[in-house]
Amino acid sequence: MKKNILTTIILFASFLQIPVYAETLTKEKMVSILKGIDMRIRSSGDYKSLVYIEQREKGKPDLVREALVYRRDVDQKLMILFTKPRTESGKGYLRIDKNLWFYDPTVGKWERRTDRERIGGTDSRRQDFDQSNLAEEYDPEFIGEEKLGNYNVWVLKLAAKPGVDVAYPVVKYWIDKATGNYLKSQDFALSGRLMRTSYNPKWQKLFSESKKADLWYAQEIRIYDEIDKGNSTLILIKSVDLQELPQNIFTKAWLESKSR
Amino acid sequence: MKQLFLIAIRNLVQHRKRSLLLGGAICGVTMLLVFLLSLSSGVRKAMFEAATTIQTGHINVAGFYKVTAGRSAPVVTDYNKVIDVIQKSLPDVEYIVPRGRGWARIVSDTGSIQAGLAGVNLSGEPYLQKVLHLVSGNFSGLNQPGTALIFETQAKKLGVKVGDMIIISSLMPNGTNNTLDLRVAGIAQDVGMFSMFSIFIPQSAINQLYQINENNTGALYVYIKNIQNLPRDMDILRKSLANAGYSLMDSDPRAFWFKFDSVNREDWTGQKLDLTTWEEEISFMKWTLTALDGLTYILTMILLFIIVIGIMNSMWIAINERTREIGTLRAIGMHRRRVMAMFVIEAFTLSAIATFAGAVLGLLVAGILHISHIHIPTGAQVFLMANTLKFSFNFVRVLGGMSLIISATTLISLIPSLRAARLKPVTAMQHK
Repeated sequence: MKKNILTTIILFASFLQIPVYAETLTKEKMVSILKGIDMRIRSSGDYKSLVYIEQREKGKPDLVREALVYRRDVDQKLMILFTKPRTESGKGYLRIDKNLWFYDPTVGKWERRTDRERIGGTDSRRQDFDQSNLAEEYDPEFIGEEKLGNYNVWVLKLAAKPGVDVAYPVVKYWIDKATGNYLKSQDFALSGRLMRTSYNPKWQKLFSESKKADLWYAQEIRIYDEIDKGNSTLILIKSVDLQELPQNIFTKAWLESKSR
Repeated sequence: MKQLFLIAIRNLVQHRKRSLLLGGAICGVTMLLVFLLSLSSGVRKAMFEAATTIQTGHINVAGFYKVTAGRSAPVVTDYNKVIDVIQKSLPDVEYIVPRGRGWARIVSDTGSIQAGLAGVNLSGEPYLQKVLHLVSGNFSGLNQPGTALIFETQAKKLGVKVGDMIIISSLMPNGTNNTLDLRVAGIAQDVGMFSMFSIFIPQSAINQLYQINENNTGALYVYIKNIQNLPRDMDILRKSLANAGYSLMDSDPRAFWFKFDSVNREDWTGQKLDLTTWEEEISFMKWTLTALDGLTYILTMILLFIIVIGIMNSMWIAINERTREIGTLRAIGMHRRRVMAMFVIEAFTLSAIATFAGAVLGLLVAGILHISHIHIPTGAQVFLMANTLKFSFNFVRVLGGMSLIISATTLISLIPSLRAARLKPVTAMQHK
């Protein structure tokens, strides 16, 4: 009898504790967290990084590509230029306004691709290399708090705002409470099916003179294809340079010249 | 003339060995030519049958709908109104079927492929069930929602059988990802390249995947009673659709998926219809026929050249052997022209008999191979448009081939025959 009473008291106490430990975030707070992520990743000046992209597909040998990523976030410009291996060298993506163009030097032709296409046939998307616009594109919903490894995280479910075109209409983010960086994300199709899970375990910061603040970037992104199980992509950002880029760099002519 | 024929046949019989050798060569070449022509006709027929049921109608009334200038979808909106216009303006119409169009990644537990999606309503497509041969499952399964019909090679790659689930993952026109879970209702025999890049799903599934309503479809496949009327019918359709107020795209003889880039570059929005013929829709794969015809032509030409040289050489020998005979014939009053005709008719007779035999043999071999249903290796299926060797007899093409060989051999015999005719009787009779 005494044991039963004790169990009841413990259970009751534990129920009472839930609201104490699970802090529910208000919408304003969530938007502010998303804005924080966007601000940390965004660069007010130019951005250049050296990136390795390792593609793993079941039944195929692993493929590693080296690429240079150029960004001018103020103008929403982005360029990805593949430099290795030899067969991929000179290929590249160029974002002009809201259009993503792909250039293949072997055929010497530009093709307009959807802004939400896989980059180089891997599981990565343009967003993985570009600035972040989470607060502008999504409405957040608080899911809860979790322990992700050693990190205490908020779990937010983001739904695309009406009229905004995004690759995944629903995404989930696991955001480190201490730093505000997201450590894990999941992307869902319109049908609700989980499409991919990404892990961003390592974040680095770099002081930006133009921004007069730190610029953060995920040094390592591990993307797992949740539909075609066994396929994955690893993105490693080896170096970041925030020096000013030539003015004419975000042009088709410049990218074409790199393969001549 | 009858006498000349008798002389020709007598000479051919007399020089049996030589006649058999030359006739055999001509027969072999004709046989090969007829065989290759039958194969080419078979591929052409298989391609037409497969293409006009799987990939395209005789005429396609398709098009693009653009919400913004840079974003297009292969959609025909309010297609029942378009069908009305077609039926009213084209008396030659046999039937019209709407087909959903899409492109997706098909994923199973063990594999994945990229394939075009064909949204079908089986009850309205009687010919599809005649052309596709199921190895497992049944067509009625595809009438149920959430099902798919795939081909043998695709099933192998995906490691699935009837009843297994597959995931269809595709980008909607606005770039948003969407998926569908479908059950494999049937697995059909491969039909060349078409079966590598197409799967069939109910029209309702396409609508669900791309979030389009049931009044819209990807394309209208128009089947006409007489395919010879195709150019005329295309003109009629173009005019009547334009008169009905539809905007039409400029004629572009390519399959629809090649047009996305150019359509996205154009600055119009809304609906534009695009009219294509079945040949234009499969223009990207017609090179297989061109290659096969080219190979037939080159092989025939090489062999024909060898035979022509053989004929000429053999006639030189015959003329040399029969110089005294020619002299005697000339001495008793045979005219030069008749001497020449004698040799030409001999060559013609040999060529005609050998060519006829070769054609019969070629058709016989082709016929036996056709009914034997010999399985083609997967690599070759891509080009031959079928999973078994298929031959077809095309009278005009075979007759054309035979005429070519007979003409070439007869014409070349003119050279030595002319020399024989020029011989003086005295000189010829003194020949040892």
